[in-house]
Formats: sequence, C-alpha cells, structure tokens
Amino acid sequence: MVSGRSLEAATALITGVFGAAVVVSSLDNGIGWSAAGVESGTFPFIVGLVILAGSVFNLVQGWLHARVVVLGPAELRRLAILFVPAAIFVGVIPLIGMYPASAFYVFGALAWHKRGSLLLAAVAAIGAAVALYLIFELTFQVSLPRGALGTLLGF
Amino acid sequence: MENLEALMHGFGIALSGNHIFLMLIGVLLGILVGVLPGLGAPNGVSLLLPLTFGMQPVSAIILLSSMYWGALFGGSVTSILFNIPGEPSSVATTFDGYPMARDGRPSTALATAFGSAAFGALAGVVLITLSASWVAQVALAFGPPEYFAVYFLAFASFVGMGGSPPVKTLVSLAIGFALAAVGIDTVSGSVRLTMGIDEMVKGVSFVVAVMGLFGIGELLIAVEEEFHVKAISSKVEWREVFRTLAGLPRYGWALLRSAAIGCWMGITPGGPTAASFMSYGIAKRLSPRHANFGKGEPEGIVAPEAADHAAGTSALLPMLSLGIPGSATAAVMMGGLMIWGLNPGPMLFVEQKDFVWGLIASMYLGNVVAVVLVLLTVPIFAALMRVPFFIIAPVIVIICTVGAYSVSNSYLDVMLMMGFGVLGYLFKKLHYPLAPLVLAIVIGDKAEDAFRQSMLMSKGSLGIFFAKPLVTTLILLGAALLLMPTIWRTIGRMMPRPEARP
Repeated sequence: MVSGRSLEAATALITGVFGAAVVVSSLDNGIGWSAAGVESGTFPFIVGLVILAGSVFNLVQGWLHARVVVLGPAELRRLAILFVPAAIFVGVIPLIGMYPASAFYVFGALAWHKRGSLLLAAVAAIGAAVALYLIFELTFQVSLPRGALGTLLGF
Repeated sequence: MENLEALMHGFGIALSGNHIFLMLIGVLLGILVGVLPGLGAPNGVSLLLPLTFGMQPVSAIILLSSMYWGALFGGSVTSILFNIPGEPSSVATTFDGYPMARDGRPSTALATAFGSAAFGALAGVVLITLSASWVAQVALAFGPPEYFAVYFLAFASFVGMGGSPPVKTLVSLAIGFALAAVGIDTVSGSVRLTMGIDEMVKGVSFVVAVMGLFGIGELLIAVEEEFHVKAISSKVEWREVFRTLAGLPRYGWALLRSAAIGCWMGITPGGPTAASFMSYGIAKRLSPRHANFGKGEPEGIVAPEAADHAAGTSALLPMLSLGIPGSATAAVMMGGLMIWGLNPGPMLFVEQKDFVWGLIASMYLGNVVAVVLVLLTVPIFAALMRVPFFIIAPVIVIICTVGAYSVSNSYLDVMLMMGFGVLGYLFKKLHYPLAPLVLAIVIGDKAEDAFRQSMLMSKGSLGIFFAKPLVTTLILLGAALLLMPTIWRTIGRMMPRPEARP
C-alpha cells in the first residue's frame, strides 16, 4: 500500500535529484558572464536551482498535507499487470529485436486474458509484426531494431 | 486589392487536376502520420521531402503543405478518441475532447474539433492573404529581444493561468527547460547535461517525452483507475456532425479569440503547441463554465483546436516572408524551399509570385479537402475504439516504443520514453501539469538562445528588454500574466465580502 504522503515525497525526491544533477553538471560548462556572452552553463544552472528549490517546497507541502492511502493492493496489482510486461517487452528488444518482441507481447497479452483461442492470439501477434513492417519499414523507411537474434541470423 | 488579384491568379495555379490530386495524397498521408503518435508532421514532411526534388516547386510545396494540414487534423482524431495526442499541438485537445468522447459523444467532439480547426485555419489563411507582404515589413524589425519577449509571454501564461499549483507548474516547466538544454548548445557549441552518457549529445526529443508522458503515463493512470474504453458506435453520426457544426457560432467569441491567439503565436514563432495551450488556458480562465473544463466542455475543444490550426497556418507567413519558420514543420518545409532553389525571404514575393500565391490559394483548398477527408476516414479510427482495452494497451505500448525509437534510431530513447512514462504517471496522479514540460522541451532552446543573443547585443544589460516599445509591451504583458493570480487574490481579499447571501 502506498500513501499520498510517500508518493508526493518520492516524486519530489526524483525531481530534486534531477535538479541537483543539472546544477552539478552545468558547473562544468561554466556559469556567469564571459567574453563570449552568457556562458552555456548559466541557464541550466538557474533552471536546476529552480527545480531543486521547487522540489524541496513540494516535499514539505506534500508531507504536511498528506492524504490517506492513494494506491491499494488492487490498484498496485493492475499497474503491475500493465507495466511489468511492457518493461519486459522493452527489455528484450536488444536481444530478440522489435518484431519478435512485439509478436510475443501481443500473443502474451491476448493469451493472458483468455478471450478467444490461442490461434487467434497467434494470428494477432503475427499481424502486429507484419503491420509494423508495412508501416515503418516499407512506407516510412524507418529500420526497426533486429536485436542480437537478428544479427545472429544475419538480418 | 492588389493582394486579391494575386490570390485569384494563385487559384488559377492551384486548381489543376494534378494539384488537386497532390492535395488528396498529401492530406491522406498527413492524416496517417498525424494519427500515428511518434510520426508527426515534421517527420512526415521530412520523409516526403526527397520525393519532391524532381517536382515543380509549387507542386512540391502543395504536396508538403497538404500533408501538414492532414497531420494537424489527424492529430486531433487520436487526441479525442484515444487520449493520445498524435501531435504535440493537439495535447490540449485531449483535455476536453477525450472526456466528451468517453461520455459517448465522439461525433460531437470530432465535429466540434474539426469545425473549430477549419475556422482557425481559415482565419490563418485570410490573415496571410491580406497581410503577407505587409507583415514581412514590420517583422523585419524583430530581433532576439523581441523573440525572447514572445517566449516569455508564452511561459508566463502557463504559471499564471494554468490553474495547477504554481510551484508544481514551475518545477514541471523547469524540468522541460533542463531537458531542452541537454546536448549541444547552439550558441557556444559546447556539450551540456549529458550526465556522462555520450549518446545524450543528440539531446532529448520532445517526441520521446510526449510518447512517455502522455502515451505510457496515461495508460498507467487508465489501468490503475480501472478505466475501460466503452464500446462506442463506430459510425460517425452525420446528423450529429451537422447539428454540431451549425451550433458552433454559439462559441463565436471563443472562436475569434482563439483564432487571434493562434495567428499571433504562429507569426511570432511561438508555434501551434504554445498557441493551443495558451488559448485553452485563457478560455478556461474566462469562460463562465470554467468548472466544466476538463470534463468535456465544448469550449475546451474549440479553444485549442482553433488556435492550433490558426497558428499552424499562419506559421507559414514568417517562413515565406522572412525565412523564419513559425513551427518545426515549417522549418522542414523551408529546408525544402532552399533545396528547390528558392530563397525564402521578402524577395520571394517579388521574384516568385506564382509560387507564393499558388501556395496561399492551395491553403484554402487544402483545408477544405482535409476537413472532408478526415470526416470520411473517422469511422475507420472510431472502429478502433471498440477493441477491448487489454488489446489496445499493448498496441499503444508498441506504437510508443516504435515511435520513440524511430526519432533517431536509438534504443536509449526507448528507455527514456519508459522513464517519462513513470514520471508522467506520478505527475498526473499528483496534479503536476505535464503541458509546460513538453512546451519547454520544444521551444526552451530557442527561448534561451534568444535571451543569450539579446545579452550579447546589450553586453549583459537587461535594459535591452525595455529599450523599444514593442519588446517592453510584450515583457510587461508577460509579467502581468505571471502575477495575475496573485493580484486577483489580493484584490479579492481587500474587497469587502458580500454578506447575507439569500
């Protein structure tokens, strides 16, 4: 279970860490005024400070005005059912390539929900891969990743 | 009336069988790239560009600009039916268009959007027709300070008029600015904010951010809140379409105001994205029904759509007359102009009359073609709404993944996109606004460049923003918008409260 307070705090921490990273990173580029005008780190430096200060404010605000539980076990479960397969799909792209990954992803989603037959799921999976090929590879000439598997098979 | 004569001549050029055919092809391809998130108008136009090298310049520009109109309309279709903006400029259309479609009125939502869009586009073309040569003269005086002032105005209107918690808006906006700064700095040429990852030199594309924040983020919100796409009739109800179109004059004031905002933001290169957000924000503030905004309020569709198309259309005006593109797509087209051997700028109006007026005439025709075609193809897209959510979800994830990848053939972008997805979910859940973040990624770089060039001109003095009447007015207007909520609150506190309400 996740409370509103911890969700607010986690988000403020993410933005705050990003802000801090921007501030530190922009120092490498130099801040302030030089012979060539405003130095290239100045603008990110200020922006980073704004993010950092805003995050601290939001952290305190979120902590003070905490709400009750915002995510119960049922919500978390539903989020996981969507996010985990999506993350696996993205994760395996460098290994097996976009086309097999998409096909397996569609097949898995349809098979999991058990509506219609496995044959239908297989047809939809192949259909998805073919559609991707037709639209991107052929029509718009965007070459999708083949992955390590594709390299191995010589595509 | 010299302009009208030239326009008639232009119609003579645009109204040929060949050019009408090119318009049809362009609009259809445009709707396709507009509907597919990740393949936007800029990508579509640049992918089509090599095919135009053998064509007459006027035929080539008609094909490319028709694709642009198609993409602008197509982007609204997915915004309304799927809550996935096909284009960043149609993000604001999702706010009310999607709730309306979800409540079972997709025909009304689409007709409202297309009707307002057509009005906005018409306003843009009329503006170009009447003032093309004149505006070129005035805008010649624009320097970096004026550009910065215009960007400042756009950003100020967000924090001041957005309606979200101001500090959260500010954080969101600043994150967008930081992301825009990633990569090679255009002024000094140095590499910034790569966090030690070499590939980050290419920067963070707004397409990647939009795919994640809106595509994946919204998907996560949707499953968590156990939302299901309702089975909506796949038929466009033509009676409803005509009834809605006939009822649009009721929003006459909103249409005029939004078209004016759009034209202004298109000419001063704020672009369609900034225009649609600004128009939405202002409509939300001013409308007597502002409590309904975000729940399917028609004015919430009218405002961003009219402004989006007015800006998209009028963005071609500075491109033609000055060589300054008013939007990303206009920039790609300008590249084409130079490849075809034309020189964008004031001289174009003198040396290439046929080209300029042929294009302007084709804009009237192309938008009519676009409205008709998009209405005819909507049933195809509406039919997709009947597909169950557990099938749609993987399809959206795949489209977003491929879209993010295709921006620059980079797997890193796919990872970033997933990261933006999680961030989008958290932000949406905790009422951080997403729109300022996207806008800042898109035009943050340009705003920074304009500021630094101004500083170079003035040797570091901020006085340059108060040196001329135009730039001072813009800056003061921005400051006023920024402080408006605070001022209103203070006035509200000072005024005696009306006691004894019946």
